[in-house]
Amino acid sequence: MISAKHINKQYDGKTVLNDISVDFPDGKTTVILGPSGSGKSTLLRSLDMLVRPESGTVSFPDIEVDYSKPISKKDSFNLRRKTSMVFQNWNLFPNLTVLENITTAPITVLKRSKNDSELLAKQLLKEVGLEGLEDRYPSQLSGGQQQRISICRALAMHPEYILLDEPTSALDPELETQVLRILEKLCEQGQSMIIVTHNMEFARLVSDKIVFIEDGNKLYDGDTKDFFNHPTQRIKDFLSGISLDEETDSIK
Amino acid sequence: MWHIIVSSLPEMIGAMLQFTIPLAIISFIFGLILAVLTALIKFIEPSENKALRYPWLALRAIANFYVWLFRSTPLLVQLFIIFFGLPSIGIQLPAFLAAVIGFSLNTGAYASETIRSALLSVPQDQWDAAYTLNFTTRQTLMKVVLPQAVRIALPPLSNSFIGLVKDTSLASSITILEMFQVSQQITAKNYQPLLMYSLAALLYAIVCSLLSWLQHYLERRTSKYVKGGQN
Ligand SMILES: Nc1ncnc2c1ncn2[C@@H]1O[C@H](COP(=O)(O)OP(=O)(O)OP(=O)(O)O)[C@@H](O)[C@H]1O
Ligand SMILES: [Mg+2]
Repeated sequence: MISAKHINKQYDGKTVLNDISVDFPDGKTTVILGPSGSGKSTLLRSLDMLVRPESGTVSFPDIEVDYSKPISKKDSFNLRRKTSMVFQNWNLFPNLTVLENITTAPITVLKRSKNDSELLAKQLLKEVGLEGLEDRYPSQLSGGQQQRISICRALAMHPEYILLDEPTSALDPELETQVLRILEKLCEQGQSMIIVTHNMEFARLVSDKIVFIEDGNKLYDGDTKDFFNHPTQRIKDFLSGISLDEETDSIK
Repeated sequence: MWHIIVSSLPEMIGAMLQFTIPLAIISFIFGLILAVLTALIKFIEPSENKALRYPWLALRAIANFYVWLFRSTPLLVQLFIIFFGLPSIGIQLPAFLAAVIGFSLNTGAYASETIRSALLSVPQDQWDAAYTLNFTTRQTLMKVVLPQAVRIALPPLSNSFIGLVKDTSLASSITILEMFQVSQQITAKNYQPLLMYSLAALLYAIVCSLLSWLQHYLERRTSKYVKGGQN
């Protein structure tokens, strides 16, 4: 389990995360929801030290990082070993081939052999339906393909958690479906995931737990079913705000 | 006319091969090494570890001073100070070495800014992606950022190199018999300034054209991963 406690983050004196505490259970999928600018990405990135909150702790059963203190290289390495991020714009390395994108981290960071890393990469590519593209460069592929490759890149590090920040927001619906299917499959395999998404249908389908934040405050933290079946007024407003039918209803 | 060209060409090409080209190549290599170091010193943020932080900040101050100094003064003046000026404080350098030092320091100062801006042009997203995979700063630079920065820096660096080839003509002022100096000496004998200086210009143009061709070749090689890139 990842346990984030009392996370505070400010940008230029403006509070972006206000004393957020959340647990992310393992073997489960947690979805983070909230309006644009509410702090979802900041919270997710705090788990991986891509953002440095002013205070708060992130802990696993065997390691704890306290953001209010200096963090040693060793702690930061160990924390990042636990998680891998998948980005909205996939952020593949354009100068490396598809295969190298997946194998470079295992080889340089984990000191795995080139051979083993390539075997693993090929197997992962096969699982996401992209065998045969090993020698291409990212720029030669569609967004959906690139995002699936970036998921392989994250999985090749064998992290405990995959963190996904709006993994399909930059994709056309058809390409989005390809990516969502893979996430569904990972979810069924019991991969621990934390996903920021605006796709409610998907959130409802895959998540075990919902965290809802607004203006840096946590407004909901609990079961997915309760979130959708017994929403508070604020959640109702949020859900209707992003669904087209109900918005038209309310305009009428 | 052909007679004059044929009789002076060997001497001019000789000077070119002996001084102009070695001076340009050696100075560019040292300049580039200096430029990469200077750019990295300015680019990499000092560590939080206090023991490393202050030495790094000191290095940075030196790098800033160096770039400021060599960009704010004319190359010719720099060469004069190194060759004619330093002997008065006991540092007497052979002309060729003085020229290499002057050209390297000058090229390094300009090229360091080229390289720094190329490093800055690699998006933060690439650093995020590398860090989430647990790359160190050094690994990220080597595997991800520098390879991308090289592609961006190639055209302006080629400019610097071509500029350097032409600037070697300034070495004549510190007694080096490079190609332009030789053409002046021949002119003094045959009174054909238009012909001789045009010939010198042509030889510079030929070398620089070869360099432009090399630039194109390298650009193609380093751009094969870019959409619409060759290969
Ligand atoms: N590097 C930064 N510098 C200054 N302000 C920032 C920075 N990053 C984020 N912010 C601000 O912090 C707040 C939260 O940003 P964050 O990206 O976490 O929101 P989000 O919930 O992920 O939004 P979205 O749904 O649009 O991705 C926003 O107001 C944003 O403007
Ligand atoms: Mg976001």
